[in-house]
Amino acid sequence: MTSEPRGAARGPSQRDLEEEVDELVHLYGLEDDDELGDEFVNENMPRIEVSEYPAYVVPGREPAVGQRDWRLSGEAAEAEDLSFGGWGSEGQCQDLREAYRYTHGRASEEYECYVIPEEEDEEEAPDVFCVTCKTPIRALEKVLDEHKEHEVTPLSKALESAKDEIHRNMYRLEKQIIEMENFASHLEEVFITVEENFGRQEQNFESHYNEILETLAQKYEEKIQALVEKKKEKLEALYGQLVSCGENLDTCKELMETVEEICHEEKVDFIKDAVAMADRLRKFLETKTDVEISAQPALEDQTLDFSDVEQLLGSINTIPAPSAPVINPQAPNSATGSSVRVCWSLYSDDTVESYQLSYRPVRDGSPGTDHAESTVTVKETYCSVANLVPNTQYEFRVTAQNRAGLSPASECAVYMTAPSPPVIKSKEVRSCEEAALICWESGNLNPVDSYTVELIQAETPGASGVTESVVGIPTCESLVQLQPRQSYTIYVRALNVGGPSARSEPATVHTTGSYFRLNEQTCHPWLTISEDGLTAVRSERKTPTREPPPSSTRFTRCVAVMGNLIPVRGHHYWEVEVDERSDYTVGVAFEDVPKQEDLGANCLSWCMRHTWASPRHKYEFLHNKTTPDIRITVAPKKIGILLDYENSKLSFFNVDISQHLYTFSCQLHQFVHPCFSLEKPGCLKIHNGISVPKHVTFY
Amino acid sequence: MALKQISSNKCFGGLQKVFEHDSVELNCKMKFAIYLPPKAETGKCPALYWLSGLTCTEQNFISKSGYHQAASEHGLVVIAPDTSPRGCNIKGEDESWDFGTGAGFYVDATEHPWKTNYRMYSYVTEELPQLINANFPVDPQRMSIFGHSMGGHGALICALKNPGKYKSVSAFAPICNPVICPWGKKAFNGYLGADQSKWKAYDATHLVKSFPGSQLDILIDQGKDDQFLSDGQLLPDNFIAACTEKKIPVVFRLQEGYDHSYYFIATFITDHIRHHAKYLNV
Repeated sequence: MTSEPRGAARGPSQRDLEEEVDELVHLYGLEDDDELGDEFVNENMPRIEVSEYPAYVVPGREPAVGQRDWRLSGEAAEAEDLSFGGWGSEGQCQDLREAYRYTHGRASEEYECYVIPEEEDEEEAPDVFCVTCKTPIRALEKVLDEHKEHEVTPLSKALESAKDEIHRNMYRLEKQIIEMENFASHLEEVFITVEENFGRQEQNFESHYNEILETLAQKYEEKIQALVEKKKEKLEALYGQLVSCGENLDTCKELMETVEEICHEEKVDFIKDAVAMADRLRKFLETKTDVEISAQPALEDQTLDFSDVEQLLGSINTIPAPSAPVINPQAPNSATGSSVRVCWSLYSDDTVESYQLSYRPVRDGSPGTDHAESTVTVKETYCSVANLVPNTQYEFRVTAQNRAGLSPASECAVYMTAPSPPVIKSKEVRSCEEAALICWESGNLNPVDSYTVELIQAETPGASGVTESVVGIPTCESLVQLQPRQSYTIYVRALNVGGPSARSEPATVHTTGSYFRLNEQTCHPWLTISEDGLTAVRSERKTPTREPPPSSTRFTRCVAVMGNLIPVRGHHYWEVEVDERSDYTVGVAFEDVPKQEDLGANCLSWCMRHTWASPRHKYEFLHNKTTPDIRITVAPKKIGILLDYENSKLSFFNVDISQHLYTFSCQLHQFVHPCFSLEKPGCLKIHNGISVPKHVTFY
Repeated sequence: MALKQISSNKCFGGLQKVFEHDSVELNCKMKFAIYLPPKAETGKCPALYWLSGLTCTEQNFISKSGYHQAASEHGLVVIAPDTSPRGCNIKGEDESWDFGTGAGFYVDATEHPWKTNYRMYSYVTEELPQLINANFPVDPQRMSIFGHSMGGHGALICALKNPGKYKSVSAFAPICNPVICPWGKKAFNGYLGADQSKWKAYDATHLVKSFPGSQLDILIDQGKDDQFLSDGQLLPDNFIAACTEKKIPVVFRLQEGYDHSYYFIATFITDHIRHHAKYLNV
């Protein structure tokens, strides 16, 4: 082992380990470094020693740097130069990884130090171990002075304990290796991050400086231009003066010559011209000549304004304000009825300290709906905004903020809250053995996209309790297929772009027999329908009120009411409790049966009519005003009615004695509904949800 | 008792057979028809007895009524005996079509010379069922009865005189009130003597008045254009009134345009078979 200058990064454990290994090596006489060293050192590889970092080879841009030895201390490296050159480059990291792969790939057993060599020399071999001196000796030597007082143990035992110790230390060494490997890869990451950060800063500086230089150049140009202009001005002024001066001179000269000519003339001519000339001269000389220089030769000193350059220089060290974030479109099914989850992302590698998310409901154009904007500040790139109104669109904008200021606002994204749950009209649920017709109220003021119906079959052995869903329902009603003789719990959800609403309150459906209720809309005014929709009562009237006007939905002349049977073919069975003494009619009719006529008086209805004319009971089975001649001796108290679409039959029974009364053959090209009327005051009570009794099945 | 098969014909998957045997009650050889539905091959079936009307034999019903399909579907054994003892050589038995041969009226005669042979009531209610139960795959607990005209009368009185014996009863144009109609008066007078109190025991309208239970569910079809109805031989109104009084469940259907014939029977036989199947197949 060579001893090297240790890096500051070394820990104390490292040193102990080395010493221990040294000791053991010494103990076993493994003095030969090469034996051990060879296993680890590969000439082409960076040198690896158990307790030290490998040396890095820099393939780098600057060959002068050469092999960079990691074991140099931090200060030494700095002293070299600031150019870390190829640090962080691909090649270096590569080498680092390869170095570790070399050590990491070795199983512990491969380490030579696990092998305890046999003693080769038998003669004079030491056979005891002196603990005190920590050396093997021959038994004989024990009696010698040197080891006389020392503790001695048998050699084999010493061997064992030494082996154990070595193994323990090897184990610790392995752990150390792993720790160091992890640390090194972590450092690698940091390496890369530093490089990235540098890159960003570099770009930043570059652009700033370029800006400053451009500004300076621009200023220079401007100033020079101004000076040139000034010069031109002055020169022009001076030139002008020069020209007028020249003119003046010419005039003077001309006058002078004229005067000379005059002087050479005869006396008489001279006097004449001289007088004129004297005038002229006088006039000329009176005009003032301007001999002031109009333009100053000196050009003024220019003031140089570098304030904006200074400002630019000042801002060089600050990070720029961020650019606008990119707001994401709404992720499907991410909203609830009162909240949405808004997400956005950074456009670039901006440094951002926080985001401001502002929102308001989308204006729907009606007056008075201008809502104030709400703002929330968050640190993450998402936010769940709560306390919103269901089934409503909101506009969202986000700005990023750091020390330098606010980014521009992002594009506006519209998010929508999920709708409120619908409300099932439980009273209007109709069912039979194979299906149910559910209708509901939307639960939302504004339209939703669609509805989903969820069915759960009640827990029974054999039924899994799994939820079935019917999706994409466009209207507020749905006919769902069901299994016979089961119980179902039904929920409805509303759906919009934000996601599904919570479940509605449940409705329960039993697929035993058929369920229907009396339809108030069809009810003659003199009939009262009970709350549960199953009893019709015609009370005594002292003075009959005026007949209501004709209607296509409501019975007028005939004191009747229709039930709402589920529009499903197959068979339906129900029972009607009647008063033996009352006059009643029960049967079925098409929806568009004339409401001004008696039941059975047309071909759109089939019914059984009972008339009590004491003491006789009269029974008629009416369709299109005709009835067979039938006498019944025992007046039924409860009438069972079987409607069989498949076989086109309508049958009536005396339930209590399981007696068949009559069967119509009827062409049922459309759906029919149960119908009931009371020709005299009385009461009819409907019983639903009864599966077809055995005696009825024969019909 | 030895049964001699006279004929066997496959029909609607079952077998229409005719047998002859020596009757103890009637002291002569009697024939009867029996239909065994397909179901009878694998298990016991309920028994439905058909009593024919005046002048009929065991043949009329099985050839004219078209009952086989319904019987086959509902899995009923249908037995149709003759309407009176045959070949007894009693003086006067062939003088009228409505008295004597072919007009047994389903009574046990008490008057001479009829009392030895004319015991159709006992034959139908005792001897024949025992014979059938012993020789054919029928369930002795499930038995019903129906008939036409005089046979309708026979079915009604057998059911009314034996509460609980028959699960159901039905009739086509039955003689409901023989004690006051011409047919009845003639027959009862001849078979039972002048004491009208003995006649009531065989009159459905009278029997109803003292019928203890209300378990019966009676179906009656009557052709509206039946001449015997208008002749006052049948008198269903009396029977209905009595049933209404006693709350015996009856559905009485007056069928527009139909007469007394087997065409009428054939039209509604399926309804009747179904009526019985409902109670026999429970």
